[in-house]
Amino acid sequence: MTTNALTFPRFFPRPQSETGIWGWIGTVDHKRIGTLYGITSFLWFLVAGVEALLIRVQLASAENTFIGPEFYNQLFTMHGTTMVFLVIMPLSAAFFNWLIPLQIGARDVAFPRLNALSYWVFLFGSLIMNAGWITGDAPNGGWFGYAPNSGVTFNPGLGMTYWVVGLNILGVASIAAGLNFIITIINMRAPGMSMFKMPVFTWMTLVTSVLLVLAMPILAVAGIQLQTDRVYGTHFFNSLAGGDPVMWQHIFWLFGHPEVYILILPAMGIVSEVLPTFSRKPLFGYAFVVFAGIVIGFMGWFVWSHHMFTVGLGPAANTAFAMSTMLIAVPTGVKIFNWIGTMWRGNIQLNTAMLFSISFIAMFTIGGLSGVMHASPPTDSQQQDTYFIVAHFHYVLVGGALLGIFSGIYFWWPKFTGWFLNEKLGIANWALMLIGMNLQFGPQHWLGMDGMPRRIYTYAENMGWEGSNLAASIGGFILGFGILLFMINIVYSRMNKKIAPADPWDGRTLEWSTSSPPPVHDFDEIPVVVYRDDFWFKKHPETISEYYHNDHDVEDIAPSATQTAEEHEDDHGGHEGIHLPDKSYYPFILGVGIAIFGIGFLTNTYVIAAGVPIFLWGMLGWSMEPVNDPT
Amino acid sequence: MHRISKLPFSFRTALLLIVPVAAGLLAACTPENNQSTFGTAGPVASDQADLFIFIFWIAAVVFILVEGAIIYAAIRYRRRSNSDKLPYQTHGNDKLEITWTIIPVLILLVIAIPTLTDIWEQQNGAPTDRGEVLNVEAIGHQWWFEFRYPDHEVITANELHIPVNRPVGFKLESEDVIHSFWVPKIAGKVDMVPLNDNYLWMMGDEVGEYYGQCAEFCGIAHAHMRFRVFVHTEEDFNAWISGMHTASDPPTAGSAEASGKSLFAGNCSSCHTVDSTAPGSYAQEISSQQARWNGWVSDIENSGIVSAPNLTHFGTRSTLAAGIKDLNHESLVEWITDPSTIKIGTRMQDHAAVYNTADGKAKLTDAEISDIATYLLSLKPGSGSTDQAMDMSSGKDVDAVELFTTNCSACHSTGDDKIVGPGLAGIGERAGNSVAGLSADEYLEQSLREPDAFIVDGFTPGLMPNWDKLGDDSIDALITYLKTLE
Repeated sequence: MTTNALTFPRFFPRPQSETGIWGWIGTVDHKRIGTLYGITSFLWFLVAGVEALLIRVQLASAENTFIGPEFYNQLFTMHGTTMVFLVIMPLSAAFFNWLIPLQIGARDVAFPRLNALSYWVFLFGSLIMNAGWITGDAPNGGWFGYAPNSGVTFNPGLGMTYWVVGLNILGVASIAAGLNFIITIINMRAPGMSMFKMPVFTWMTLVTSVLLVLAMPILAVAGIQLQTDRVYGTHFFNSLAGGDPVMWQHIFWLFGHPEVYILILPAMGIVSEVLPTFSRKPLFGYAFVVFAGIVIGFMGWFVWSHHMFTVGLGPAANTAFAMSTMLIAVPTGVKIFNWIGTMWRGNIQLNTAMLFSISFIAMFTIGGLSGVMHASPPTDSQQQDTYFIVAHFHYVLVGGALLGIFSGIYFWWPKFTGWFLNEKLGIANWALMLIGMNLQFGPQHWLGMDGMPRRIYTYAENMGWEGSNLAASIGGFILGFGILLFMINIVYSRMNKKIAPADPWDGRTLEWSTSSPPPVHDFDEIPVVVYRDDFWFKKHPETISEYYHNDHDVEDIAPSATQTAEEHEDDHGGHEGIHLPDKSYYPFILGVGIAIFGIGFLTNTYVIAAGVPIFLWGMLGWSMEPVNDPT
Repeated sequence: MHRISKLPFSFRTALLLIVPVAAGLLAACTPENNQSTFGTAGPVASDQADLFIFIFWIAAVVFILVEGAIIYAAIRYRRRSNSDKLPYQTHGNDKLEITWTIIPVLILLVIAIPTLTDIWEQQNGAPTDRGEVLNVEAIGHQWWFEFRYPDHEVITANELHIPVNRPVGFKLESEDVIHSFWVPKIAGKVDMVPLNDNYLWMMGDEVGEYYGQCAEFCGIAHAHMRFRVFVHTEEDFNAWISGMHTASDPPTAGSAEASGKSLFAGNCSSCHTVDSTAPGSYAQEISSQQARWNGWVSDIENSGIVSAPNLTHFGTRSTLAAGIKDLNHESLVEWITDPSTIKIGTRMQDHAAVYNTADGKAKLTDAEISDIATYLLSLKPGSGSTDQAMDMSSGKDVDAVELFTTNCSACHSTGDDKIVGPGLAGIGERAGNSVAGLSADEYLEQSLREPDAFIVDGFTPGLMPNWDKLGDDSIDALITYLKTLE
């Protein structure tokens, strides 16, 4: 036997505990990692929300002195950075983790330990990013970190170093997670589930993961260059020494625009599950919706310079990017029409999850229409860097991404926990958030057209901006109360548990076929898939002919229907029963090593050296530890 | 059954909704506001506003139809009385879906056409068929705007003067971080990017005063980086230009202005020029401004100098501190006393020696500050046409101490302290040994007449002006005086 050669001196015993802190630190279960992502990012959501409210208090009146410019700059920098990197991305990751294996009929992701590593690296990166709040010099150069204002010459101190080191560490987590989900979705689908039988959420996760894997390395290039500029005095973006500040913008937005779709596509996936379920109809035009998502993911690479229409790239570049930007509105519009088509002639149940999803379409449409207005460079030259842009992307990211995510939370909560969230509180939560966000971001359209620039901590009384700002601030607090109500709902529903069955909504996809919450091994028996929305059509076989009624469709279901579970097991290494990876401490240890590297860049090179043994320990221990101990 | 049948509400009903809703949205815009992008005063901004309104109406139609369809579907097809009836499980409708893919393409084509014509009209250089182009170089500094008129050799700051109905071609620059140049009522913004000069043209077609503001986040005082644009009739503009070439009258001896002038010379003049009226002063100010920048960049922590607005004919300005406050004696005193009460983060307070105090307030008495303010407000085109400010014509008795205070003390102490230039105590002894082959007198004369011929280690070349203009007698008197310093 060669197994002897594979044994390696263990630095650590295999974690055994199922519960308690060590149980969580050693976990490789995708569901528990999803929960960790969800809780962590929700806490950062509260932090970012407080930052936003402080901003809104300051702007509520002209010449306000509630907070000064330095603190204000830190607040808007960290609000943006936190919402993008520490809230919406990881909240989406929480859904990926929880749902992808369940939706494709798998027992875990392809690389469970890598998955755990992603979470720990994300956690440590987020802490480093925010460490400046404790040391008193939080990042203050904007979430976009424009050079040369983000360089040491104009921005001395540790502030932007926390930002760039944190960002680089977070990038590691995103790239690892992206790879993991691509491989999981490609390789671990249940027998019979061809690509075009995958749930749309799984499709959008796949597109998002591809974008992550391609976009985050671009950010890493810019981030590492800025980091060496700040820490070692290189001149990549230092205009005083000939470095090009426009290059930073190109690299940042080449990452930054696909990033926009990284933020919104998961939410689009969520509503594409919620709308059919509560309309009791299949998604209208599955293929169009999926292809629209793929086209958005592809075209997202050719529009980055619309963030730079006023940088002076010249009429030719502005023409090209105006055209590509307008074109990307087409697949987005297709999705909106198909969602409406899904509701059309449905039997619509207006519960909290559905209301959030319907509001998603309504609000996202507004963000899309204002987007077309600044796809045109001449009008954008009046809108760029004003509150019109602030209004636009908050309609997309709050009205879009966040409402979508809240819809997903209400939709899958019974699956995650085994109990329902209260509907009355839920609807109040929805109403407050919807009213709040419209009151907050609606008037900002007028502020922008009235010439109020972004990122100013104060404004003069004679500008006519006070009324709209006050309304926006009131709206901000209403939105805040909505989110408070969500937390109250969790506590209330936890105390008055209404137990959820496995399939509370008459669901369409595989996650509803297993118990709520699912067992550790997800499925007692791996399902065999014949149809798109397989679980639904097996519950309602009389409707199969309505969906599959022409030759093309029938061909589509034919081949996979012939494959049996046994054949599938043969393809995948025989009948070994339920196979789950064992727990491991090494992802956590490796994550600590990476975090120490980050701290080293902020303090002293010797600290980086101190991180090396921990990093190597984590890596070697990981490589030598078998996925499963021999039983 | 599975086909989407006729839309339940007619297109006409929807259009009936669109007009009041969209008109209401537009009516909520306030063109009279200072920085409104409506109520425009120039062809560039008005084309931009027209294009916006064109896109807006198209968007309004789409908005009403889509939102109407969402609300209609949610209400019309909502579940009634717990009916679990299954709707027809349609998979979609290819024809319909292709239609609603093509329609947006057509709509966007309609938007693209005026977009493209506007891009090439607005971003491809100043037009040649709308009259003689006035060239202006606008430079963004943290946190104020410098304006240079190379055709007229005029330099000013924070208040831009342009003639009506003449295209103005801007070259936009920045020395420090990225700023953005924006006068909403006259033209959309273009960024000022270091190492990447940009070009923008605009034209004011209505005489008046307009608001501008930096639109790109540029650091701590971004919110306070504003400016004004004055659109004049051609005659008024020419008068302004010729005023900028007319020196101020010198203050009468013993007046508050005279005291203010001397205090200004001692505390402010190493960074602020007040007399760029004479021929040649334009080039001098450009090189001085560059030198101030070099001085600041080479020693950001401790520099005693920093780029600063040119204050020539400051008394004719209407605003203070980059368009933040109305200019008057009271606001100017407040500003000089403690700039942070008006504008937090200003470089002046961080670097000028006069603010090197525990609380950051100026090391001057209230009376002194009032005198400086009075002096600055008195800076206006004078009655004469020759530049007398610095002219110490030969033949008169020269007071070397006053000469030094007025012209040198802003940068040089008579002790050992370094301000901008070296402290001059003991210069008489050192001077003979500084450059091989030059006696003390020759060295000092060279330093005054050709300051860059020899730079003491650790100091920045290009900062010190050439003092030839003082005249031979004054230079001799200064040399004699300098040698007495111990």
